[in-house]
Amino acid sequence: MFKYYLGLALLSLKRNIVLTTLMIAAIGVGIGASMTVFTVLRAMSSDPIPEKSSELFVPQIDNWTPEDLNESPSLAGGLLDQLSYRDAMALMRAHRGVRQTAMYGVSFTVMPTIPGARPFTATGRAVYADFFPMFDVPFRSGSAWTAAADAGRANVVVVSAKLADKLFAGGRAVGRTIDLDRREYRIVGVLKPWDPQPRFYDVSDGSFSEPEDIFLPFSTAIDRQMAFYGDNNCDAEPAPGWMGHLNSECVWTQFWVELPTAATARSYRRYLYNYAAEQRSTGRFHWAPKVGLQNVRQWLVSERVVPDEMRVSTLVAFGFLLVCLVNSIGLMLAKFSSRAGELGVRRALGASKTDIFTQCLVETAVIGALGGIVGLGLTVVGLGVERTILSEDAARLAHLNSGMAFMTFGLAVFATVCSGLYPTWRASRVQPAWQLKAQ
Amino acid sequence: MEILPILSALRRNKAGALLIGVQIALTLAIVCNSLSVVEQRVERMRRPSGIDETNIFTLDNRWVGQPADLKARIDGDLAALRALPGVVDASSTNSFPLRGGGWSNVLMLTAEQKQPTAHTAIYFGDAHTLAAWGMRLVSGRWFTADEIKEFKVNDIGVPAIAVITRALARSMFANGDALGKNIYMNPAGPTRIVGIVDRVQTPFAASSWGESFIENSMFVPYEYVNNGLVYVVRTRPGQLVAVMRAAENKLFAIDSERVVGKLQPFAATRAHVYRAYRALSLILGTVCGLLLTVTAFGIVGLTTYWVTQRRRQIGVRRALGARRVDILRYFQTENLLIAGAGALLGIGLGLALNLWLATSLEMARMSLGYVTAGATIVLVLSQAAVLLPALRAAAIPPAIAIRSA
Amino acid sequence: MLKMTRLSKIYRTEVVETYALRDFSIHVREGEFVAVTGPSGSGKTTFLTIAGLLEEFSAGRYDLDGVDVRGLDDNRRSRLRNEKIGFIFQAFNLIPDLNVADNIEIPLRYRGLARAERRRRIDEALERVGLSARARHYPAELSGGQQQRVAIARALAGSPRLLLADEPTGNLDTQMARGVMQLLEELHSDGATIVMVTHDPELAIRAQREVHIVDGQVVDLVAQPRLVVPAQLQV
Repeated sequence: MFKYYLGLALLSLKRNIVLTTLMIAAIGVGIGASMTVFTVLRAMSSDPIPEKSSELFVPQIDNWTPEDLNESPSLAGGLLDQLSYRDAMALMRAHRGVRQTAMYGVSFTVMPTIPGARPFTATGRAVYADFFPMFDVPFRSGSAWTAAADAGRANVVVVSAKLADKLFAGGRAVGRTIDLDRREYRIVGVLKPWDPQPRFYDVSDGSFSEPEDIFLPFSTAIDRQMAFYGDNNCDAEPAPGWMGHLNSECVWTQFWVELPTAATARSYRRYLYNYAAEQRSTGRFHWAPKVGLQNVRQWLVSERVVPDEMRVSTLVAFGFLLVCLVNSIGLMLAKFSSRAGELGVRRALGASKTDIFTQCLVETAVIGALGGIVGLGLTVVGLGVERTILSEDAARLAHLNSGMAFMTFGLAVFATVCSGLYPTWRASRVQPAWQLKAQ
Repeated sequence: MEILPILSALRRNKAGALLIGVQIALTLAIVCNSLSVVEQRVERMRRPSGIDETNIFTLDNRWVGQPADLKARIDGDLAALRALPGVVDASSTNSFPLRGGGWSNVLMLTAEQKQPTAHTAIYFGDAHTLAAWGMRLVSGRWFTADEIKEFKVNDIGVPAIAVITRALARSMFANGDALGKNIYMNPAGPTRIVGIVDRVQTPFAASSWGESFIENSMFVPYEYVNNGLVYVVRTRPGQLVAVMRAAENKLFAIDSERVVGKLQPFAATRAHVYRAYRALSLILGTVCGLLLTVTAFGIVGLTTYWVTQRRRQIGVRRALGARRVDILRYFQTENLLIAGAGALLGIGLGLALNLWLATSLEMARMSLGYVTAGATIVLVLSQAAVLLPALRAAAIPPAIAIRSA
Repeated sequence: MLKMTRLSKIYRTEVVETYALRDFSIHVREGEFVAVTGPSGSGKTTFLTIAGLLEEFSAGRYDLDGVDVRGLDDNRRSRLRNEKIGFIFQAFNLIPDLNVADNIEIPLRYRGLARAERRRRIDEALERVGLSARARHYPAELSGGQQQRVAIARALAGSPRLLLADEPTGNLDTQMARGVMQLLEELHSDGATIVMVTHDPELAIRAQREVHIVDGQVVDLVAQPRLVVPAQLQV
């Protein structure tokens, strides 16, 4: 029976080719426009580490007075979004999580291995060894450094696949040295290509930029007095020099902790609160303890990682789709009404209301499918255009994977069928006898 | 015209009228909000930075390793750059307008004041900065060479003097009369304002958090002695490209153990930083165009269908004495009623949508001008779209009343 | 009142030329009740559409109430139609979305009459056909006979000089048909000029005189007895 209806649907579409084209075009354009924009939005708001996003947390401690806090531009959920060096070290020493890492961004000049080539800059991140297992960072060769290396401020680094290939042209990199800022570091590990979208662990330098090329021990970076490459916020002028910078209440360090269960998370939060209370009793803080603990998803929301521009675009695009669907309802009403004669005859020949309903619904689905194909094509074209106008970081997200393609097609069929429900219902109510007389 | 009978007839045929009305309402709501958002963005993109944009290029300079004699190296670079043919002046600094990253501070009027009076960006300036940036002094003076001190990273201290922008002067003092007055970057000590420049945007002028202090900039008389700073070079008109190439070669000739990054004309910086705005404008503009097209086609399609359904009736009216223009006016009036109702609904939807955008997405409120503009566009479009089917209706011969049984 | 002189209407296709009316003449005087009869395809419908200024003709002359309609543009013809003619269609042709009063009002609107005047005429017309109680009803709520009477009221409301009826009882049962014919006869005795097209000889008898069309040409029969004389007689 379905094949019969399919055949009828195709015949009917061919009969009134202008109307059919208008409908398919409207749906196709509506789907194309909305999915072009939605693809990027979805990529921006997706969970970068779904297996673990509820187990990784950012602790927040308020080490500023409430008045200074109000003036700060970088708050997440009403609290500062980075830690001071002091607090980060205290949390590291306490070691209350299964794994944890303080970190901050750095930047290096790299001497090339090819003679005659110019030196270049590369971004880096100072982390603890726990960083790699915490974030499921995949290794191509070698491994992270040991805890001893962390403690000992060793001159070791882990590099990205891209950097390793650039320096050593695909050859073995582990064990070789790399010249960073005129200092030698031994490569202990090379990563596989790793590109979490968004780059959630530090959103201060663009949420969707590529990850760093160089990872080195936190203690090493501090020991070498490497300047931070990121945001720094101070409530008051710090004491002069590097030590003054470390001892100040300026916040420039990020911190992540792994807490696998709800119970461990609760107990960590209690620990944070007690820590802040303790700082109050020692006179460092003069205000009530204010702490926070957010997991990855909460963090991405508080940090407003998805740009508002993207949200507005998506809203408008889906509004457009809605108008296209309302349009389709009208066109389908017209289409089915003009076939009232034929449908009436079918009813007289024994078709039930459900039969007519099904026949028209199948026709609607066919239109939706054709509109979906057009929409899919337009989405691909639209993404291509979008890549040229978005920023470089966002443009990397404008790609259609098979999941989104299915979603596009499915949305087209589903939306068209939904908008066809009323016209189909109207069509199924055609009276058999009355229409026959008008022959 | 015969409005009541038209309304009566419409009430018996609600579906079609409702569909057109809803389309018009949604279109209006979306179009006027989009226009408002785009206009805001375009407005922001058009604001001048305050420096001589067409003749300035910038670069990030960083030597390999940690060279000891930074000040000498920087001075040497700048002297060489200034000596290049076609260069008006060059200076080093920490940041420049629209760069994205930079320094900011709060300012108070007294040492004891807790609540800051204004936010500002901090630019390190030397004796050449005024000429190198092409800025215009409105009152007071710029720094002299002997007033410039060295500033290394992690140094502290407040500058004794500063030059600020007019906007900052107005933020701090009622009538903008800031010359000679003191301001406080922190309680440590006052900074006296010795000069006021016309207009200089902050590095954060394109971001949403910088929106409230776009032109609040303060120049402090420090040479930023840091391995990692910005050179700003101003060339004579028309010579930018050539000088850029020459500058790069010259710097590497002096010392090749360095990395020169983001060597680009200011126009490239501006384009990069406003890319998101431009993208949004293009997307919204395209969608609005498509929206109006689809709605217009929808009206044409549905009205044509109605005309076909009412062929007989139209013939009867003609037989009863309606002229072609009466039939035309009937459909245009009918369309006007539907579109008018749709427009009213659309105005409500548009305002509601705008309220939601303003509260959850920090978009600015839309002025009523957009609502009226949007309503006009939509009504005109609707009337234009109905013209074709209405003319076809008017052409229906009166004989149909008798001939088509 | 209605005077056609040697009127012809030709339908041209690529291949063939058909004369719907050929050299056709008729003169209906004021106050007459004339039936126009003929077999199917004889041209009576064409006569009706031309008489009603619904179509143009190819040759000849047509004077309506003293006005030569040849060469009039569409606007003038519409005006003339509105002022001078009242139509009564076989299929009633009431607009289903409007109630009875609004249906009757239609020709009055195109004449640009004031509201009070329109109301007065509608009420009078409804009174005349005996349907004053149904002013707010919709056509779907009325019987066939009532619908046709509304159509007659619509025709009367504009005080036309000529009533043109096309098979006025064609869609009605015997009893309703009788009622409608009675109404037409009443109107005639009140002084109306009526031209009625019909194929039913029973109805034709009730008119004053009969004009018979065959193959686009008139065969005029005077009073009784009815003899079909296939000659061209002009009256």
